[in-house]
Amino acid sequence: MKCEVCLPLLEEYIDGELREAEAAPVSEHLVTCADCATAFDSLTAEQEIYSRYDRELEISPILWNEIAARTVDERKVVNTASRSSWREWFALPSLGWSFAGAMAMLLAVVALAVIYFQSTKQPRQEPIQQAQNDKSPKISPQKVIDNNVKTPETPIQVKTKDQLAVKDSRSQKVHKFQEALTASSERKTLVTDQSDVLFSDVAYSQVEEKETLAHIENAHNLLRSVRNIEISEDDTDVDVTYEKALSRRLLNENVILRREAEMNGKFPAKTLLADLEPFLIDIANLPDKPAAEDLRVLKQRVQKTEIVAALQGY
Amino acid sequence: MKRLAVDELTFEGRRGVRAGVLMNSSADLIARSCAGDADAFRLIFERYSRPIISFLYDLVSDRGLAEELAQETFVRAYRNLSSMREETKISTWLFGIARNVAREALRMRARQSQNVDLEHESVQELSDKSPVPVERLLGKELNEVIRRSLAALDEDKRLVFTLKVFQQCSYEEIAEITGFSIAKLKTDLHRARTEMRRRISPYAGVTYEV
Repeated sequence: MKCEVCLPLLEEYIDGELREAEAAPVSEHLVTCADCATAFDSLTAEQEIYSRYDRELEISPILWNEIAARTVDERKVVNTASRSSWREWFALPSLGWSFAGAMAMLLAVVALAVIYFQSTKQPRQEPIQQAQNDKSPKISPQKVIDNNVKTPETPIQVKTKDQLAVKDSRSQKVHKFQEALTASSERKTLVTDQSDVLFSDVAYSQVEEKETLAHIENAHNLLRSVRNIEISEDDTDVDVTYEKALSRRLLNENVILRREAEMNGKFPAKTLLADLEPFLIDIANLPDKPAAEDLRVLKQRVQKTEIVAALQGY
Repeated sequence: MKRLAVDELTFEGRRGVRAGVLMNSSADLIARSCAGDADAFRLIFERYSRPIISFLYDLVSDRGLAEELAQETFVRAYRNLSSMREETKISTWLFGIARNVAREALRMRARQSQNVDLEHESVQELSDKSPVPVERLLGKELNEVIRRSLAALDEDKRLVFTLKVFQQCSYEEIAEITGFSIAKLKTDLHRARTEMRRRISPYAGVTYEV
């Protein structure tokens, strides 16, 4: 190769953009030609100067905060927009005060009708009561209604209805509570005020069961991933940062769920969670880039103990 | 490290995510960000914010503006995550967005002040009055010379030079980011190198002319 051919190719050669067939003659020429080798050295020195260029830039945490705020705002706008479009679908015609007035009138008529029907049922008991209270002064129909309300039978009926209503609303609350808990994938502690929830222990155990199942599914996926790692001898850059983070989260859940299972007498779940815990601890404590040998040992343990199958079986 | 393909699983309730790709690969981060995982997008930011800000700073030569443009770049990236093609490298894609954002800003700035001639600016005096080691002083001065020399390049040359020399992009990636042909970018790169060399040689002792 001549210098006139070599020199124009030097930049591409340094950039690593020449194909092997083009690069090989340049390499050979550089060994034999002092002038081209000097040019090559100058270009290399120039690259080094650029590589030391320090812009003294600091990435402020505010930058991410602002990006997060803008992207969160957009998510909210999208959600509101989609919700409002759904509202439009089911929206009632806007009638303003006239509509509200009409509804109030309707409610008043319904209330009067209820009172009227109640008063027409009650007079059947009136003669008996009047016979019992012959000496009592004559009372107006309104007072009769009031007295009837005070009879021993009616309050029981009213009370039972009230109780049923309370029970219904409570069962709805329990249901909502369960849904909210199930939807939350990240459960840390159950510090919820359940003082107004009926049968809280039953509701709680169902929630707990769902939580345990979700937890076991996540742990199962994590261990499968670890089990399926293929390790070669020259592996040096195994990055398990994500697995570690996941394992730490699952470990916290695992401790809580294991204790709860033990307290509620759910021994199969408790045993399984207790078996799972050492694996989560080991994965959580791995270095960010663990040695291939460490991973191999962990992988073998996962395979030998058949913990994955046990989790799947649950 | 290679991972065996595993059958499709549900992971954290999301179908279609494979257990074998629990690592934070770019594809995984994109998929998770698209599914609304804010942590995944934060990881993308943490991974690429430094090269993007450096790239923007090289293009606009203004620290504050570079930060603003980086913010805009990542917000636009977030909005368009779903439109990113699978075969595109995330860095190439982000550099492409950053390039557009910078170009818009430069045009606006050019309209606002058309008479700024960077070529004839004098070397900025160092404001630090305390004694500074000679090497550090030279380093600071050299940084300033590189910054000014970059700013003096025309837009296309500066873009190509920055992507190749500072961001180590391949010619193919540069072509994808800029939309230039390989022939044009090679010519621009060679001219940019020559101009840069001419400006920094008194400070760096680089005398060779290709």
